[in-house]
Order: sequence, then C-alpha cells, then structure tokens
Amino acid sequence: MAFIKSLRRSTGVTPSPAATTVASRPDAAGAAVGPAATATRQGPSIEISPSDALHAYLQAASGVVEVDKLELDSPALTEIRAAGVKIIVPLVTQGELIGALYLGPRLSDQDYSSDDRRLLNTLAAQAAPAIRVAQLVREQAIEIQAHERLDQELRLATLIQQQFLPHSLPDLAEWQVAAYYGPARAVGGDFYDFIELTDGRIGIVVGDVTDKGVPAALIMARTHSILRSEAPRLVSPGAVLARANELLCAEMPANMFVTCLYAVLEPEAGRFTFANAGHNLPYVRNGESVTELRATGMPLGLMPGMVYDETTATIGAGESLLLYSDGLVEAHDPNGEMYGFPRLQQRFGVDLAGSELIDRLLDDLRDFTGPHWEQEDDLTLVTLRRSGASGSFADAPADAPPPRAAGRVLLELAVPGAIGNERMAMDRVAEAVASVGLAPARLERLKTAVSEAAMNAIEYGSEGRPEIPVLITVTVSDEALRVRISDHGLGGPIPDPGTSEVPDLEAKLAGLQKPRGWGIFLIGQMVDQVAVEPGPDGLQTAVLTMDLTGGD
Amino acid sequence: MSGTTVDVDTLGSAAILRIRGEVTSASEAALGEAYAKATSAGARSIVLDFSGMEYMNSSGIGLLVTMLIRVQRAGQKLMAIGLNEHYRQILSLTRLDEAIHIHDTEAAALAATA
Repeated sequence: MAFIKSLRRSTGVTPSPAATTVASRPDAAGAAVGPAATATRQGPSIEISPSDALHAYLQAASGVVEVDKLELDSPALTEIRAAGVKIIVPLVTQGELIGALYLGPRLSDQDYSSDDRRLLNTLAAQAAPAIRVAQLVREQAIEIQAHERLDQELRLATLIQQQFLPHSLPDLAEWQVAAYYGPARAVGGDFYDFIELTDGRIGIVVGDVTDKGVPAALIMARTHSILRSEAPRLVSPGAVLARANELLCAEMPANMFVTCLYAVLEPEAGRFTFANAGHNLPYVRNGESVTELRATGMPLGLMPGMVYDETTATIGAGESLLLYSDGLVEAHDPNGEMYGFPRLQQRFGVDLAGSELIDRLLDDLRDFTGPHWEQEDDLTLVTLRRSGASGSFADAPADAPPPRAAGRVLLELAVPGAIGNERMAMDRVAEAVASVGLAPARLERLKTAVSEAAMNAIEYGSEGRPEIPVLITVTVSDEALRVRISDHGLGGPIPDPGTSEVPDLEAKLAGLQKPRGWGIFLIGQMVDQVAVEPGPDGLQTAVLTMDLTGGD
Repeated sequence: MSGTTVDVDTLGSAAILRIRGEVTSASEAALGEAYAKATSAGARSIVLDFSGMEYMNSSGIGLLVTMLIRVQRAGQKLMAIGLNEHYRQILSLTRLDEAIHIHDTEAAALAATA
C-alpha cells in the first residue's frame, strides 16, 4: 500500500498515530495495511463489521469524516475513538466501502484545514479503485491457483486411467476386434481390458466407476488389478465378479461402486459367456437384427455376498458383439434429449466392424449432440466381429420380435440413492416400456408414478445416500405392465396409497397441513394398481401396475 | 438436469411468470424470487406460464400450494396457462384447479384479469 505512505510524505499531514486501512470486505483481509515500520507510527487495525452502523455511514459519506462529530451506536467507532483517530477517510468505489484511512491529530496541533480535507478526498477517490483492483487481482490469483490444482488433479486422473487401459488389442484369428476410450474433461471412471486365459480363451472387461477424478481412477486401478489376478484363476465370469465384489466391498469408499461386465470368449467355438454387475447389457448383431443379451447382478462394492448369473451365447460367422458404457447412451443433444438405448441398438445394425463401426457410431453421436457438445462422461466402446459368411447381412432373415411371454423382463436397474436420480429412473423406465405401446397419456401417468415412487425410495428408503441403491425392475405380460421399485427401508415402511391420508387442499391453504405431501396420493391416482410387498432380501417393494387388457 | 428459470413479464396489473425447465424442490428459490419481483412491481394477478416446463413432480406441486397461500394472503389472483393434458389432470386430481384459474391462452388469462 505504497500510496498511503506517499500520502503522509506529500501532504505533511503526518498523522499520529499513523494511517492504516481497514479491510471492510470480509473476503479481502489481505488488503489491510500491516503495521508501519516504526513502533511510534503504528496505527490501529480496527475491523468495521458490515453490520456495524459505521459501515453504512462511511459507505454513504461524501468525503472525510470527523470522528468527534459522529454520534453512532457503533462498537467500531468506540474503538476508533479510543485509538485517538480524528479523521476517517472512507475508501468507496462503485458504492462499496472497501477500506478506510484512519488519521490521528495533526502533529502541528492545528486542526485539519479544508485544503487538507480536499486533498484527502482526492486521494481517497484515486486510492479506492486502485485498492479494489489490487483486491480483485489477488482474488483472481487465488482462483487461478485453485484452477491449476484442479487441472493437475485431472491430469493425474487421466494418467492413472491410461496406465491401465490395454496398449494393444488381442490378435484373434477369425475375429475383428476394436476398442475406443474417450475420457470426458472431468475424467469419469470408465475402463476396459482384455485378459489372456488358458486354451486361447480371452477375458473381456468393460466397467465404469461411479464418481470422477482421482478417487474414481484409483478404484478403477484396483478393480483392474483384482480382475487381472482373479480371472485366470477362477475363469467362470460369475465367480470372477463375485470374488471381485467381496474384495471391493472391503475397501470401497462411501458413495462409490463399480458397474462391470466380464465375459470369456472362446474364439474358435464363438462361445461368449458373461456375467454382469449392473453394467449396460451387450448387443449382438445378426444381419440387421440386434438383440440384447441379459444377465443380472448388483454393481461391485455395494454389498457382500452377491451372486452373478451367467449367460452364454454363440456368436456365429458374420455376427458382432458390442459392449459399451453410459457415456454414449446418456449423451444429450442441445434440447436435453438423451441418445438412449433404442438409438444405439438401431445404429449398431449396420454391416460394419472394427474401427469402421466405432467411427460410424461416434459420427452418429456427433450428429446427435451437435458441434458444441462438451462430453458429459467417459465413453467406452468395445466391439468384436466373427468373420466369414460375408453374405449373411443380406441373407439373414429378419428375426421376429420375441413373443410377449408372461413376465418378460424389460429393465433391471440399480439407481444410486441420491436425490435427483428419480428423473433418470423415470426416463429409463419410459425407454424400456416404449415397445409395449401404452397410450401416450397412460405413459405420462406411469412416468409420473415411477418418478414419485423412486423419489420416495431415494428420500426415505435410502435416506438420500448414493451408496444405498434403489432397484427397479420392469416386467410385461399379456395382462399387465409392472414396475417394481425396491428400497432398503432405512426411513421406515413405504406408505400404502390405499390407506394413506388424502392430502386436502383447503387444509394446506389454511396452514393445517404442510404444502407438500402429494407424492403417495399421486402414485395411487396415476396407475391402475399399487401394492406394497416385502422382499426380496429384506428390501421392500412398491409394485405399480398398468393393465394391458382393456382399451386405454 | 435442466434446472429452473423463471422470467417475469409485467403487463399492466398482471405479471406473467414464464417457467422453463423443471418444477421440483430445487425450484423454490427461482419461483420465490419471481413471485417477489412480480409482487413488488404491483401485480394483482400472477399468471404462471407452463408452456416451457419439462417436468413437475409432487414437490413442485407443493411449491404451487406455497405460492397459492402467499397469493391468497396478498389478495392476488393466481392463474395458469400452457399446461398440457397430463399436468392439467394432475392439477385437477389435487383440486388445485379450483384455486388456480387455468386458461388455454395468454390472451384469455389476461382478459380474465381485467
């Protein structure tokens, strides 16, 4: 604050005690001038709180203020008087008090003249914006430092991630293999891997750690090393994931889990056996027809003792597999529309393989998101095609859609119990039931009911804790579409809409009931039937049913 | 997530609150500020324009009730336009349509304020 010293030299208004500024901005304490060089010139450093009457007074004052003439109920003023200050020069810029100079009595025993005051006012008018600029520069510097730290963390996360991505693709006779990994700016926790097993078999991993940055990268690295060491020993995909789950449960930080698909491919036989820990399901393409392979299981690291189903499919000549992470299907276009599974399923139905297929999918994603898209999440694609029978694309008969069997599963989903995820649950269910062909109005009602029931499950069943998931299963039969929403019941049992109190608008308007409390009532009104069931596994389940027998 | 924005247009004694995005518990501040702005501009009728709304849940309905309480205390009138069939039905099921005057168009709502 050199200009304050120059004030003292140039004016001869040598104050005693010496001048000092006081930071009145609580975030700019660094602007307060430190003690003067000599003890005799040390000035008071008195903070004026923004709630002090003096603060408002100085902010509105048109120039220097004589302390003796002030009558204010102000703790700061009492202190200032006690320190022997005679004149306060407010430093105001753009209507904001950013500091003040305190001057003691003139050493000459004369009062401050009007010339002195004019000079002080001129100086204050020039000093105030300069101090403000200095404060802003300092704030900016702090902000830049924070940014640099963040950038460094991102670089570190990227570095960790890249260490564990495969450096080469497996070289399999008769198979065309390609993979793509595109990190988001904030670096999500995607990973993929190929693991060499005995007898020419190959392990294929695609996974995603919830959360971002360094913590996610470290968990990704840990998952990678567990799978690398357990896969050759256990071989069976279900057993490998169950073992990984046990190990990860013991060391997983709160609010994190890993979705992961692990498959073993026998290249010669074309046999593809996989188990799934809550990850996106793989697609198989045969000609133009794309089907989803299913296997169920909870994400890794949530709770011990989980069992992972295995599914085996035989990949014939000319058929392809696609494994992928959320980054593609959950990308949004400028209108907030999600890319979605149906679009991916359809786009995969082209006669392309390897990097050509990946390029085509990425091109389509760019067409969808538009040029200004900032990638929201990591994006991973792994594709394998068994060569031969090149004519199969044209010759393959279009597969008839599978019959609507009793209780066919349309969706199984584990939603982290974080408030706000109810909308994601709603969108996923809406996507899953698209093929059922509900009338638009009934679809809207189902969506509202799913969102409300999922919100209750998240708010009460999981108490808003992301590590406690809400499980959603959608099934369809000839008679009915059912959405089951299961939670852990931490906040008590699910209220039954049939017996719950009906919210009353008059009572709410009169302040006799809370304005909120419409959710359970709405669920009951939106769907044809609501039931609350215990189970499975100590969970409680709200079952929402839409009747499919009558006309809508 | 889309968040909520509410723009306020004042037209004579009516203020139109143009809601874009979602109406959920996260919208409390945006709606409260827009209502305060409309009221301090002297609005006697508050018209909620839902045509840009993407999503409303039961917490959002709770916020409408809160606004209705304030409006009734201040002796103002609350109106709604731009509701689709689904949300009209929800307002009807909750009987909010008895207290909030629903109109098909902005012109009809403004005519009813006169």
